[in-house]
Amino acid sequence: MISRILNKIQRIRGGYGPVYGINRRNVELVYAKNPRRLYPYADDKILSKSCMEKAGVPTSKTLAVCRGLFEVTSTLEKLKGLDNFVIKPCQGSGGDGILITGVRDGEGWTTPKGWISDLDVHRHMANIVFGAFSSQLEDTVLIETRVRPHALFREFWDQGVCDVRIICVEDVPFIAMIRIPTSASGGKANLHQGGIGAAVDLQTGLTTRAVSKGKSCTIHPESGVKIVGRQIPMWDECISIAERASAAVPLNYVGVDIVIDETDGPLILEINARPGLEIQNINGFGLGAALENIR
Amino acid sequence: MKSWVIIALLIAIPASLVCYKVFWLHYEVADVLPQKEYTITTRMTFDGHTDATRARTFVPVTDERQIIGFQEQQAPVAMRFSTEDEGQNRVAIWSGTAVPDQTTIVHTFTAQTIGLKYVVDPLLKVPASYESALRVHLQPSEYVQVDAPEIVALATKIGANTGTALERLTKIYDFTMGLETRAFKGTTDALTAARLGEASCNGKSRLFVALARSVGLPARLVGGLILAEGKKRTSHQWVEVNLGGHWVPFCPTNGHFAELPANYLVFYRGDEALFKHTSDINFDYDFSTVSKLVPSERARETLSAFNVWDLFARLKLPFSLLRTVLMLPIGALVVVLFRNVIGVPTFGTFLPALIAAAAGATGVLWGLVSLLIVLLAVVIARRATERLGLLHSPTLAILLVVVVLTMIGTSFVAERAGLLDLAKISYFPIAVMAIASERFYLALVEKGKGEAAKQLTGTLIVVLGCYIVMNSLAVQMIVSGFPEVLLFAVAANIYIGRWVGVRMLEMWRFRHLMGSAT
Repeated sequence: MISRILNKIQRIRGGYGPVYGINRRNVELVYAKNPRRLYPYADDKILSKSCMEKAGVPTSKTLAVCRGLFEVTSTLEKLKGLDNFVIKPCQGSGGDGILITGVRDGEGWTTPKGWISDLDVHRHMANIVFGAFSSQLEDTVLIETRVRPHALFREFWDQGVCDVRIICVEDVPFIAMIRIPTSASGGKANLHQGGIGAAVDLQTGLTTRAVSKGKSCTIHPESGVKIVGRQIPMWDECISIAERASAAVPLNYVGVDIVIDETDGPLILEINARPGLEIQNINGFGLGAALENIR
Repeated sequence: MKSWVIIALLIAIPASLVCYKVFWLHYEVADVLPQKEYTITTRMTFDGHTDATRARTFVPVTDERQIIGFQEQQAPVAMRFSTEDEGQNRVAIWSGTAVPDQTTIVHTFTAQTIGLKYVVDPLLKVPASYESALRVHLQPSEYVQVDAPEIVALATKIGANTGTALERLTKIYDFTMGLETRAFKGTTDALTAARLGEASCNGKSRLFVALARSVGLPARLVGGLILAEGKKRTSHQWVEVNLGGHWVPFCPTNGHFAELPANYLVFYRGDEALFKHTSDINFDYDFSTVSKLVPSERARETLSAFNVWDLFARLKLPFSLLRTVLMLPIGALVVVLFRNVIGVPTFGTFLPALIAAAAGATGVLWGLVSLLIVLLAVVIARRATERLGLLHSPTLAILLVVVVLTMIGTSFVAERAGLLDLAKISYFPIAVMAIASERFYLALVEKGKGEAAKQLTGTLIVVLGCYIVMNSLAVQMIVSGFPEVLLFAVAANIYIGRWVGVRMLEMWRFRHLMGSAT
């Protein structure tokens, strides 16, 4: 088993290709494949979601949308009857401004980070509307049902959501990884905030190697759970919805972020028109090599 | 392919223009080099008199080695201002009655000076007689006792009474320069200087003049200022000797033989007192000097070819602004190099260049210190407002108040503490400070402390780089003399804009991948 994985790693390592820096990524992939006017298909989560819905690609359920300060109070009223939802800025990036709630508790909700009041939620939505978490002057609040991650991901880390990133060029997946939060990353799956990245073999859905804070690892440094050599559940479905999600938007170079819900299976979390380059360090080869493989 | 054609054109066009100027119009480096322009402020203070009060001083006039520009004076209404020509000198006089105590008169002018060096013909003889206009410069006067036996004896003793004009002058110069320099206050006459064997600049100069006159060389005293940034009370005196019809300068105090450095400014000629005033008025004075670079005549021609210089002159905008405007694209290119080739994160593309340009007024060190003080205030303000849980835009508006108060407060405290450079923080364009603060705040809020600190460090490094390039005399000279070279910057940006190489800091990031990438 281990030798097979090692062989696989060797095979991948043998396939070194050009490493893409930001300059090459921008000129050859982002600018060439994604005209700037099409960015909203990725950056605007509501537009992106409507594309997914039209194409029949599964996403998490939208509970409410708040389009301005005038709607904040009424939206809050609507939420008071709900549990387990996620409040996010429609144009946010890097997981900033995302508030996850648990169950209703008095004049507020429990959250993974402790109790918050209705006023806190009100203020959070107002901040989102004022564009505090996006590069725009104003933004829309998107409220979705909270995903209950698949058992494997809960095993990796149960206080946050692991996601799968599959990067597609011309709707063809060519490199993939999963991102696992740590308490150091504040429960976010972002690699630059201390999350762990694990490379996933596109064909088999097996994790082949993992990197935590720039260092190679095989287990989650906090939970001690084995990360490398695990089979990602419903992998073929993940690949399939990544292809369909990529095809559903007019962008031709996208990072598709997928969460795997315990009951609903793979759901599109968001689409990124400028996926980061750290995936190369996670996989141990450059985007050039990965692109060679699909040609 | 197309971009290569554009790049080639963008290099060829300015290059041919530069060649045209250099080879056909014969531009020379010295022609387009910016020149130093000094602004000298003479400040006089005195207490009033019920009777008539009068103060006079000399104001410099334009001659072959100094150009006196813009002049202005400020005095209380009671003091009437007038100027008079007295021989070759110009006198400024303020007079009035019922002048209040603590009266301040300020006289300001600009001066551009050049250094001059004379070659004295070694065969030049001392003429037996002179025309009447020069004969006055051989006569004894109150403090220049040409006919005193001691002076005549001294001239003979040092051997200055024989030989060519150059030989005599060399002996007088060597002797007076060899005297001990003492910073005597007040007037030292020639005889006293000779007896004591030590003197201040005016004593040495008077002795020089007395000796020169005694051996038949017409000579006169010159009074003025040695220009240096800052404030001082010390004026200076040196000497001119008429050789073959030319007045040739000598400074026995600082050792200049037949030459005058560029920082000597002539106020008057003759044995005069720089200030004369009604007695018992507690008179005091000082000079403050600031310098800046202004374009040379040749560079002005270049800029007026497409009327930019004229436009700025008509709008009364300072050259420093034009220079800043011209250097900004160069600064932006430096930022691009740092960002896209090295990979240093900064607050925006223009901001480091703008900060570097703004730091021109304060100097880069104090500019960066000012920036850090303001950003520190931003961090503290963020701490304070965070607890209030305010909405975003009002928080930024509060931030602006903090920035403004910090700038003014810092100026106030720095001025009290005598840190005049730091006090200039208020010169820093508020727009640049405000944008820098907002960017820093947003980075702090959106990306966290670590990333904000990284971007700040990057910005400071890039500001330093921009400052060095934008304030380099060579680059300024090239850009103000040949503004067409800005097209080179466009060419460079097109090239970098299409360069897909791995940035230097990315090489580190992907070092494990790069090592075996063959």
